[in-house]
Amino acid sequence: MDISQYRSKLARFQSSIALFVLCLALSILSDKFLTPENGWNILRQTSVNVCISVGMTLVVLTAGIDLSVGAVLALSGAVAAGLLKTGIELPSNDLFVGFTLLGTIVVGLITGSFLGFFNGWVITRFKVPPFVATLAMLTIARGFTMLWTKGYPISGLGPNFAFIGTGWFLGVPVLVWIALIVVVVAVIISNKTAFGRYIYAIGGNESAAKLSGIDIGKVKVLVYTIAGALAAVGGIMVTSRLDSAQPNAGMGYELDSIAAVVIGGTSLSGGRGSIMGTVLGALIIGVLNNGLVLLDVSPFWQQVVKGLVILLAVIIDKVNSKAE
Amino acid sequence: MKQFKLLVLLLILFAGCSGNNQKSDEPKKVAIVVSTLNNPWFVFLAETAAKKAKELGYESKIFDSQNNTALESDHFENALASGYDAILFNPTDAAGSVSNVEKAKKAEIPVFCMDREINSRTAATSQILSDSYSACVELGKLFVDTLQKKGQYVELLGIVSDNNTWNRSKGFHSVVDNFPNLKMVAQQSADFDRNKAMEVMESILQAHPQIDGVFCGNDAMAMGAIQALVAAGKSHVKVFGFDGSEDAVIAVSEGKLAATAMQYPKDIAEKAATFAHEYFGGKRDFPQKLPIAVDVVNKSNIDQFTAYGKKE
Repeated sequence: MDISQYRSKLARFQSSIALFVLCLALSILSDKFLTPENGWNILRQTSVNVCISVGMTLVVLTAGIDLSVGAVLALSGAVAAGLLKTGIELPSNDLFVGFTLLGTIVVGLITGSFLGFFNGWVITRFKVPPFVATLAMLTIARGFTMLWTKGYPISGLGPNFAFIGTGWFLGVPVLVWIALIVVVVAVIISNKTAFGRYIYAIGGNESAAKLSGIDIGKVKVLVYTIAGALAAVGGIMVTSRLDSAQPNAGMGYELDSIAAVVIGGTSLSGGRGSIMGTVLGALIIGVLNNGLVLLDVSPFWQQVVKGLVILLAVIIDKVNSKAE
Repeated sequence: MKQFKLLVLLLILFAGCSGNNQKSDEPKKVAIVVSTLNNPWFVFLAETAAKKAKELGYESKIFDSQNNTALESDHFENALASGYDAILFNPTDAAGSVSNVEKAKKAEIPVFCMDREINSRTAATSQILSDSYSACVELGKLFVDTLQKKGQYVELLGIVSDNNTWNRSKGFHSVVDNFPNLKMVAQQSADFDRNKAMEVMESILQAHPQIDGVFCGNDAMAMGAIQALVAAGKSHVKVFGFDGSEDAVIAVSEGKLAATAMQYPKDIAEKAATFAHEYFGGKRDFPQKLPIAVDVVNKSNIDQFTAYGKKE
């Protein structure tokens, strides 16, 4: 085996190695790090970012980007919370529509899916760059969230709804189950289905994909719809965990999510990367967030450290892809 | 053809402007410029100011500076250009907002600062202030008493680039740091965000399971901290917030939150609107600084309070 082969083998495991080294270092630096309770904390805290980042990975694989996930998360969560708390009153004919728990969740998910669909439609129909289209959606969804909540949090949503965010099932937090299901489904879709192959093909070489008969528009719209739906899943998770929909929820989540994708080794120019890489990327961010607090590192330094980690991940990725 | 259309458009625009300048019996217009609408406290401040202005017979419009002094500067220029007669102003930054207010002064438009002050004693017509620093001094005193001068505590800071974060933190520490048996075991930022506060608190509890108190820079973070503490079976830990939001007032009455600071945004906003009204009526001698008292809210006096103010 020559060096370049060896290197590309190493590249495949770079995220796992990084996560392992990080965990090892933190267990040496703090005896509080490697405890079951702290492990569950990290998994619970990472689960929302994992869901969003899975959607982001699919988008990035098509050489796109979705900046609207944080805002879509906020709006979907707020819509679900508002409907659960007060329902809808139609003053014109004295009609009151109440919602069941399942009903609010479904409407929340539909909200996110629709916003994602709209992103995809604008991007494919009008050839708007994804960066611009989803940046516009970020602002639009933030605006609608403020309109819907009038700027105030919607709190006190009841124990049934809170079960999603705080409950346990078979010894594992419900939030972690949700993330696990999302990841398993996404791995199957991206590796075993024609749709998954199309995503990689489009990101790898769009004109070649078009010539081979792939309906590029359809695939892209579906990918952005999935990203929106998964942001909505994240919105329900965050809202349930806090027992409150915050008007400014999900602020900056798009950056955490892009960071997870990049650290996980998915190329921003599309066509190369994996869901599992992103999961590792999200875990690295989660472990880093947790570890820096455990060590009581100053908040100023935390920002610097996180930025450096992202930079390092991208540089390693660049070096490795050149080696290939 | 295209140029002709543009010319017509320009003419219409200018006609519109000159029309605006000649009004006399039209209602006066009040611009409300707030630092951010991403925090319910400021939403309430802005809405109350708008409501009061309407009651007094004025048109009003809310401008959101999004915590950005450059955007704030644009809002001032637009407000001055489009003929607003007064500005009710919640500054983004004590130093960075001064030049904006001076711009208005030059145009002879009165500015009334709300809640936060600017570093100038001459630019604004009047400043109706609620002082985060001294409110946190009061909270600090209560904190010391509640913890009986000893124990370990955690501080959750707001956004570290926001001057409110440090005003509150410094006020608190000016009291608490005088008690050597009160030990701060962790000082972390949770960006004024409920979710972030919960996550940070969960992590801190791993490193320091034996804590007695938590001081939070706002109520949203206090609510997040409480959720983490309750989930960890540590509801005995005393949590202190700041703002007097609806969630916090309920939490104090249920005994979950030890205390919060009530800043009376309603009084501040209504005072500012009333000052503008008096200014239009010809009054000119306003106090440069009018402090509005801040009250500490805890279990003993909670029955007098509702969200963002006293019960009426």
